[in-house]
Amino acid sequence: MTDVNQRDIGKAMINAAALVLVLSYALPYVYLLMTSLKPAADVQQIPPHFFPESISFENFREVLVNSTLPHAFANSLIVAVLTTILSLILALPAAYVATQYRRKLTVVFLLFALVTRMVPAVSLGVPLFQLLKSLGLLDTVPGLVLAHTSTAVPLALLLLAAFFEGIPRDLEEAARMDGCTRFQAFRKIILPVMKSGIAITALFSFIASWNEFLYALLLTSENSKTAPIVIAEYNSVFGLAWGPMTAAAVVYSLPVIAITLALQKQIIGGLTFGAVKG
Amino acid sequence: MSSENRFVLGMLMPAALFLGLLVAYPICLLIYNSLFAVKTIAPDVREWVGLANYVNALTSPRIAESAARTIKYSVFALAFEFLFGFCAALLFNAIADKSRLHRTVFALPLMVPPIVAGLLWRFLLIGNIGILNYGLVAIGLIRDPGDIQWLSDQDLVIYSVAFADIWLTTSFVALVSYAGLTNIPKDLIEAARIDGANALRRFWHVTLPMMRPVIAVVVIVRGVDAAKTFDLIWIQTQGGPAHSSEVFSMNIYQRMVRYGDLGSASASATLFLFVMILLAALAYWKIWRSAHD
Repeated sequence: MTDVNQRDIGKAMINAAALVLVLSYALPYVYLLMTSLKPAADVQQIPPHFFPESISFENFREVLVNSTLPHAFANSLIVAVLTTILSLILALPAAYVATQYRRKLTVVFLLFALVTRMVPAVSLGVPLFQLLKSLGLLDTVPGLVLAHTSTAVPLALLLLAAFFEGIPRDLEEAARMDGCTRFQAFRKIILPVMKSGIAITALFSFIASWNEFLYALLLTSENSKTAPIVIAEYNSVFGLAWGPMTAAAVVYSLPVIAITLALQKQIIGGLTFGAVKG
Repeated sequence: MSSENRFVLGMLMPAALFLGLLVAYPICLLIYNSLFAVKTIAPDVREWVGLANYVNALTSPRIAESAARTIKYSVFALAFEFLFGFCAALLFNAIADKSRLHRTVFALPLMVPPIVAGLLWRFLLIGNIGILNYGLVAIGLIRDPGDIQWLSDQDLVIYSVAFADIWLTTSFVALVSYAGLTNIPKDLIEAARIDGANALRRFWHVTLPMMRPVIAVVVIVRGVDAAKTFDLIWIQTQGGPAHSSEVFSMNIYQRMVRYGDLGSASASATLFLFVMILLAALAYWKIWRSAHD
């Protein structure tokens, strides 16, 4: 009897501990949301209050109407979409032959992609600056897309390689029996089977570009600034403009959080994959 | 060449050329630049200095300090991410099916942009309006909100800026560890229980060894990421006050952009690159390989 009670108490304690952990984990972001909804004057009140005393969209209006942020969001979106498309076009065929036609060359290639993931962005950013400058692509959308794609391709390669591993070799052979060329088999038979793997890889490439900061800081100055750069400028240029800054941070991060929550199972799977492979 | 080989080459070529142009070539350029005295604004005017930039990098106290800070930051962040993440995973595993909602909340920061995490934590920690210290006063840990100057105390700041990192990536550790825990066969733990092993011994002799590959992945991926951190700290302190939160990547950035010294920045960046690859390879051999024997 006491044994059962002890077990119940133990269970209840574990449940309580898990709840406390999760709540305290969510708290910082909830506070960010709450702060963004305060009237700008209340944001920096001393002492700070967790909940807004009155709700106002002043901060959101400030960043969405009166600033360069919408333009920066457009830039972020364009760069992320183009990066996703370009990295998939490059990585899909390469990942396919690297897993299905294993030979020395493809192994070396995948190894190179793996090593590339360890390269610090700042190490590549320094010469990329020089390269883009000589190509006349500094502070342009295509320039930033090239830079982001250089990190997205290795990531996509490793993710896609993991997905391609699961495709039986016979699939291509069956298609070729039916008269397809190797490339037709790849395009018409293999790619449709890979749909979900491609979707997850696309998502990861998109978010990697959407979240990227250092290349954007180094390689853009006026025209092609992305959202994180403009938000960071609130930090320095306007000193303590915390109200608009929290609103900008919410607008910038909410889409990504929504995607994460909607697709969390696939994302966690992809992360584990990427982690194991990379 | 056989048609099969032509196909392989054709499929590989676009990605290979792209990575060659945008990764391999820049790395060569980086190493080349590191051998010259050259300014960022005029990369065509250069003077050969051999290994002088490297000698400089290895003897400059400010660079050495930033390297030491990077290690402090990474070890501190990794230790707590690991502690919290692993404990969370064990808790989730203990409540099994009921942990769904918990895991959903934990997935939340997974994709949060690092600069948002940095801004958020700066807002929580900053003097006067940082709510964290008011919370600490409320539970009686400190007496005045001004007692701890998280971001302006030069000895403390390198650890304070890691809070954002810990918050952001504990979820990664937790969810990856949870996936690893659910993959451990139940009979194995049951067998240990029947053999009379208590919970602690079961954890130490069954769970932990089975988790070795997962631990390896987390240490490698997170360790490399933490050492590379730039945005998260930049947004909180820009390396200040008085360089006391300037990590290695930031030191390189500052020398290239603020001081315009492309040659010396390139030498440090080259060293950084090789150390990171070496560390990752070492961790891979040590932890991952031995787990697979």
